[in-house]
Parts: sequence; structure tokens; C-alpha cells
Amino acid sequence: MKNKGILIFLIILAVIIVTVVTIDYSTSKRGELPPNPYELSTDPFTKVDTSLIIFKETRDFALDFNEPRGVCIKNGQIFVVGDQKMQIIEPTGKLIREVSFDQKPATVYCSGKNIFVGFRKNLSLLTMDGNKIMGWNAFSDSTVITSITEFEGKVFVADAGKRIIRKFDIEGKPQGIIEGKSGNEQIHGFIIPSPYFDIAFNAENELWVVNPGKHTLENYTMNGDLRTWWKGSSVRIDGFSGCCNPAHFAFMPDGGFVTSEKGIVRIKVYKPSGEFLGVVAAPSKFSENAQAPDLAVDDQGKIYALDLDKKMLRLFIKK
Amino acid sequence: MAEKNPKYSRRDFLRNGTRISLLITLGTVGGISARHLTHEKYVWQIDPFKCTQCGRCATSCVMSPSAVKCLHAYDLCGYCDLCGGYLKSDPNKRSTAAENQLCPTAAIQRKYIEEPYFEYVINEDLCIGCAKCVKGCTSFGNGSLHLQIIQSRCLNCNECSIARLCPSDAISRVKGSKPYMVKGSFTKES
Repeated sequence: MKNKGILIFLIILAVIIVTVVTIDYSTSKRGELPPNPYELSTDPFTKVDTSLIIFKETRDFALDFNEPRGVCIKNGQIFVVGDQKMQIIEPTGKLIREVSFDQKPATVYCSGKNIFVGFRKNLSLLTMDGNKIMGWNAFSDSTVITSITEFEGKVFVADAGKRIIRKFDIEGKPQGIIEGKSGNEQIHGFIIPSPYFDIAFNAENELWVVNPGKHTLENYTMNGDLRTWWKGSSVRIDGFSGCCNPAHFAFMPDGGFVTSEKGIVRIKVYKPSGEFLGVVAAPSKFSENAQAPDLAVDDQGKIYALDLDKKMLRLFIKK
Repeated sequence: MAEKNPKYSRRDFLRNGTRISLLITLGTVGGISARHLTHEKYVWQIDPFKCTQCGRCATSCVMSPSAVKCLHAYDLCGYCDLCGGYLKSDPNKRSTAAENQLCPTAAIQRKYIEEPYFEYVINEDLCIGCAKCVKGCTSFGNGSLHLQIIQSRCLNCNECSIARLCPSDAISRVKGSKPYMVKGSFTKES
């Protein structure tokens, strides 16, 4: 009788132990955790109202690059730099020519007469066929070239390391610098928290500069005087969020802006006045922790986005 | 009947056996002591590049508050006014007001440096390792804020309760001689 009691006790104990272990195992299993009171959701900023998306992706070009860095379009040809090379590609995707370099390029700009390939500290000038004309000497030890543009023989080079725009003639002789200082107390020079500092001329031959730390796009005269600017500092879809956005921009044929952002990666279009127009590519189009795509726009307003993570050139046209 | 070995008595056998046992014991103790002196200790640490800022470090650690704290890699920081790690998304004002702060324990101090730069300093005693600031910084900024297990606070459990639940397997044992996996090249004391 006594042994029977002990046996029943042991069976009950075993059932309790098995139950506790099973409950503990099932509740602490990955993916089946109780709600987390400290979770920060970025979903409200990554989800975009589909009515705001006014472009559609029509074509992707897989690129033969491990680390694509920059893209530009001129005269119906696409120029892509990365790794230690530049590829000249037809809009059909056919490779026309490949040019090798001894350094990793960071950016590329085509004027129609020349190709400017920017490396970290110096740049090379090439013909539109990709033949090297000359190389410029390194500017300084802390130089980080992020963007190049040119107008009427005046070459402007964005130096994110020094937080200035360097101005040269076509031979590479320095013609001064632009620091972005102005009497307007809201503009305090270029704030460049990370190496994203883009510049471009629009169809009206106006020099526009991203001041990423201020979330502004600023228009300067050729002499470096601030003419006008617009700002879009907000986490909402119509603004620029984070520490350094927009990371890249390009101009539409009508003078509007196309911008790409880092952090929450997205591509958007703005009117020439800076008013938000719509979304080209929502964050869902890009992989998690993606980098901001470099942008180029052709004469017909087709937007080419260089996806650095998927190593693709993605084409967007208006719906 | 077997012959007795006149040269090796039972007394000799016991004496020699005792000596050998003592030598083995001495060798074992010495070996264990030497191993303790030379063997490298392993500790738990978070790989900040694997961390997905799920927030479980705050709730799963056996320590209260958690031994996981936020560290700041100042050389990666943009010293921004609009800091995604300090301010709530879409704050009504970029100020130190409580309603604008992302941190649930106000463990981040915002210090004005010069227009428009601000420095963000973590108060380790207030930090609970919830990773809200880390997610904000990673999503909107340069990712200079990141989590680390503070070794002076960690019990170094045999099975880390956070590692068991970590959805990205970001927590693993690292050598005690290099106990941190800090982003950037330097951090400051809080």
C-alpha cells in the first residue's frame, strides 16, 4: 500500500515536470515571444500609400560589378563605375566598352564632351569613348570626392571630407572653393555627417547642391553665392529624414528634382520649387539595410537608379 | 600453490601504491591549477553588425536592469540636430523635452556643441538596453549607437538567457582578453 502511494506520487511529479518543461519550451521558442514593450517600429515610415507612387519599374539591368558606385547618362549611353572599372552601356543593356582603372571610382559625370571619373582623392578626365585625357592630382589627404559636375569649362567637385565644393578649369587649375556660407543665419555652410554630398547643374544652368545635414537643396551662383534654397526636414514621406539626406539627386527634364535617401531608402520626385510630387520607389523596393541608390535621368524623364546592393540598374518610368 | 615473491612484499606494494597515488593527485591538482592560470576565459558579447535591435536584451537578461547597455561610437556620429536615436520620429520640436525623447528612461543626454551640432552621451546607469535608440540611429542615421554587454555587470551565465532568445544569433562567446565588439574606433566613458 505504501509503495503504491509512492508510485502515484512519482507519476504525478513526473507529469508536473513534463508539463512545466513543455510550457517553458513552447513559450520561450523563437518567434513565439510575448509582445515586446520596447520595440520601435519603423513601419509607419516604410509603408507608402500606393496613390503616392507615380512611377513604375519597367526594367532591370544586372550589372557585372561587385561594388557599383555611380551612374550617369548622356547621349543615349549609360556610364556605370564601380570596382576598378567603368562600363559604357547601351539603353538596351548591351555593353559598348569597359575601361579599367588602378583605383576604385566613387562617382562619374558625363558632360557630353568628357567623362569625369572621381576617385576618393583625385579624378580622371576621359573622352566620351573612354580614352584617358589626363589625371588630376589628389586634392588633400582628407578629401572624399562624392560628386562632380561641369558647365562651360568650369568643373565643380564636391569634397565631403573637406565639406567644400572645389572649382577648377578643365585643365584642373583651381578656381576657388564654395563653402556654402551666407549671410542668411539659417544657412551655416555644408553639414556633411557622412560621405553623401551631391551637386548638379539643372537645365537652366543653375548649380544646385545638397546640404544633407540640413536636409536642404541649395542653389549657388558660379561664384559660390547662395541664391535660393528649399528644405524638407521631416520623417514624413514628403520630407528628408535622418542625418544626411537626400543622399543623391538628379534633375528631371522639366527642372524637377529626383532624390534618393539613405536609412529608409526611397526615391521621390519634387517640383522645381521643391514641392513634393510623388514617390518613384518605396522602401519596400529595396533590401533591408540597403544603401541609397545613385540616380540618373535621361532626356525623356526615365529615371535610372543604381541599386548598390542588388547590383542592378533599375529603370523607372512615369505611370 | 604459487610461490611468494621474496623481493616484493605486500607492504612494498602498498607503499609504492600510495606514492603513485599521491603523485597522480599532485599532478592532477597542479595541472588544474596551471590550466586555471593559463586558460583564457570566454564571455558573452553582442555583434553589433548582427543585432536587429529587437529590444529583447532589456527584458530577457537575468540582471535587472539588463547588463546590456547602449554604447556610442562617436567617430561614426554625425552630431546631428535631428538625431534619429535621440528624438522620437516626427517630434513636435527638436528639444530635450520628455515628450520628444525616444529613450524610455531618458538615458541619453543631448549636449549643444556649436550650431548645428549636438553631442549625445549615454548614461549607463539609466540605460536598460532596450535598443530603441539603436534602432532609431540605424534606421535614420549613421548607426553610431549600438548595444554591448557590459562585462562588469554581466554574470557570465553558463547559458546566456538573451542569447537563447536572440532572433539574429547576435550574441556569442568571445575571448575574455577582447571582451567588446565596439563599432568605430573609440567610445567615451559616460
